[in-house]
Amino acid sequence: MFTKSPVVAAVALALTSPFATAADSDSLNEIRQEIRQLKDAYEARIRALEERLKAAEDSAAKAQAAPPAPAPEPVAATAPPPPPAAPPPQTQSNAFNPAISLILNGTWGRYGRDPSTQITGFSPSGGEVSPARGASLGESELFLSANIDPMFRGALLVAITPEGTAEVEESFFETLAIGHGVTVKGGRFFSGIGYQNARHPHAWDFADASLVQRAFLGNNYGDDGVQLRYVAPLPVLVQIGTEIGRGREFAGAGEFERSPQRNGKDSQTFFAKLGDDIGTSHSYQLGVSHLRQRSGAQGVSMFDYDDISGVSNLFGGRQRISGVDFVYKWAPEGNPRYENFKFAAEWFQRKLDGDFAFDTAGINSVAPLIAKQSGWYAQAVYQFHPYWRVGGRVDRLSSGSVTLDANAANLAVPGFDPKRSSLMIDWNPSEFSRVRLQFNRDASRQDLATGEVLKDNQLFLQYIHSLGTHGAHRF
Amino acid sequence: MKLLLKLAVAVCASLAAGLVHAAINVFACAPEWGSLVREIAGERATVYVATTGQQDIHRIQARPSLIARARMADLVVCTGAEVESGWMPIVRSQSGNDRIQIGKPGFLEIAPVVPRIEVPQVLDRAMGDVHPMGNPHIQFGPAQIRVAANEIGNRLIRIDPAGEAEYRTRLADFTRRWNEATSRWAEMGAPLKGMTVIQYHRNFSYLFAFLGMREVGTLEPKPGIEPTSSHLNDLVAQQAATPARMVIRSSYHAEAPAKWLASKINVPSIVLPATVGGTAEAKDLFSMFDDAIRRMLAAAGK
Repeated sequence: MFTKSPVVAAVALALTSPFATAADSDSLNEIRQEIRQLKDAYEARIRALEERLKAAEDSAAKAQAAPPAPAPEPVAATAPPPPPAAPPPQTQSNAFNPAISLILNGTWGRYGRDPSTQITGFSPSGGEVSPARGASLGESELFLSANIDPMFRGALLVAITPEGTAEVEESFFETLAIGHGVTVKGGRFFSGIGYQNARHPHAWDFADASLVQRAFLGNNYGDDGVQLRYVAPLPVLVQIGTEIGRGREFAGAGEFERSPQRNGKDSQTFFAKLGDDIGTSHSYQLGVSHLRQRSGAQGVSMFDYDDISGVSNLFGGRQRISGVDFVYKWAPEGNPRYENFKFAAEWFQRKLDGDFAFDTAGINSVAPLIAKQSGWYAQAVYQFHPYWRVGGRVDRLSSGSVTLDANAANLAVPGFDPKRSSLMIDWNPSEFSRVRLQFNRDASRQDLATGEVLKDNQLFLQYIHSLGTHGAHRF
Repeated sequence: MKLLLKLAVAVCASLAAGLVHAAINVFACAPEWGSLVREIAGERATVYVATTGQQDIHRIQARPSLIARARMADLVVCTGAEVESGWMPIVRSQSGNDRIQIGKPGFLEIAPVVPRIEVPQVLDRAMGDVHPMGNPHIQFGPAQIRVAANEIGNRLIRIDPAGEAEYRTRLADFTRRWNEATSRWAEMGAPLKGMTVIQYHRNFSYLFAFLGMREVGTLEPKPGIEPTSSHLNDLVAQQAATPARMVIRSSYHAEAPAKWLASKINVPSIVLPATVGGTAEAKDLFSMFDDAIRRMLAAAGK
């Protein structure tokens, strides 16, 4: 069998010599042609070879029959060095246009009670949004990204609200060329704290954010500023990062009126992540994070500790949020196509320390406020079929301690621990579309007058579709 | 935080000490590229292979371990043609590694530099998860592998010029053995010429083209879309007009739909290695081809 191969090998070698630059289209065409020729030639050659072999066997009596001409060596040692030219084209994302993807989503929500009532006892709040009642369009997200030059990559994520306003959720550059595991990101971006925070709503496993995420971080906490991250040169992922920002949002309260007198760098975060695989089927990531903010002199409006209309409450001071997050994923042999499981849990604690102004027509009382509250969620999602996933989530918030000092005479803080349980099932006919049904048993609110827990059964039917460039998602 | 940093520095220093014998770190997106780099670089490279033959390379997630390994890579070798687009962009941007960014010598995608088949004329996601650059499962094209070997050789020399002589020698040796093997496979697979088959996903189109086999249908109604019962029934009905001799699936695809169809049309259902490591026999690129052809011959009763 091997006696025939040198000739074919010689042909093959003549066609493709090592170190040919196959990059330009000319040589590509050449290669295509050569392969065609090679294929066509195979049969004829094999026939010819068989005849030659037969002839060789016939003359085997002579024993020392001359072997077929040796194939020319691939002249490895003498081949010219590879041209120092630019590498061949690598990835095509619409020539030089940025990669574009568009997320469409909408929800049909059924509530037993008014969804705009806030989670009880966690203030400041206001950064959280629930899907509306009935059929409603969600935010359409437009995502553009591209490499800017060899130094930078840029991305823009605009959320177009159903009301027709466009909101810049993220708009940032990121360095490509620093190396040594260091990346700097600048602009407006979702903070890297926690696990869920940096993920856009279309990538969530449930139709709404967890209670703790909503109460402390307002769905997604982001800022205008700079992020620095470092990945250690280790076989396991060890990443540390920090962010310094203006403090555009007061975490949990959304954007607020800032004092024009300050050159703010009123917000700073730290985070660290550790992650690896265990065998081929399991992987995990463990994170810790910390956020510290100052409201500035202006103060952040507070509501919800009490229901008194006409009250203008303001908080001015420091907020510190610390958290631990954990994610575990399983897929048999690391192939998530048919079956996979994901578990995620996060715990956050928030401390507020500052002055609280209780202001009505009759009273204007400023007194210290110290609050320490916490919350967590745990969720599991199981994909049991290429198209289908089911998931469950448990949410808890702990009212902790809130000290109002002199203002305790003016308003009471409800010692209420909000809870919620959720179940969801979603259908994913491809990587680009998802239809989800979710049920919430919500007990996150309380009637402040009677103390009655406002239990609510909530149902969501949601679609999330992604158009355009195949998006890449975080772990 | 400081303690963590100190620990990281300490471990990294000891790790660096342990790695001095290997000149470069290579991150291979797929086992076939890992195998090819090992052929050409030998002991000069430490190769980390990001995926296995049991995994669908389209559906990998940007796991922490991949980011950690990409952080240390001097060279990343991927398939390209959007097959890794669900995870590799994140791995690259999260790694903080300047050497492996697009346009750097340390980032190599093979598909763009080899001839590709099944390039779609119309691009629309209604046609499923189509790849604008054509079929990306190039590991079963002997000619494609030969070109890939040259490209990898070129890159290794650019990144590690000190090893040039060794890379050239090994590449020449690989090319010689590959050419020999290619003619051997052509010969070995000759009885398969003209054979009609149904495959699960277009994993083996390059192999069929090489051996002169003909695909008459795929279990997936559209690329990346799972088989539906109506589509499988269509395939059964189609058997009368264009009979298939076997149903072929890759090592990471589900057995049930392939088996169901095979029993309906009364032909063998076989599994071929999707790549190196897809079957126990497919230990490297050579044995992957041997095993794939041998399995088809066995199923064809030849």
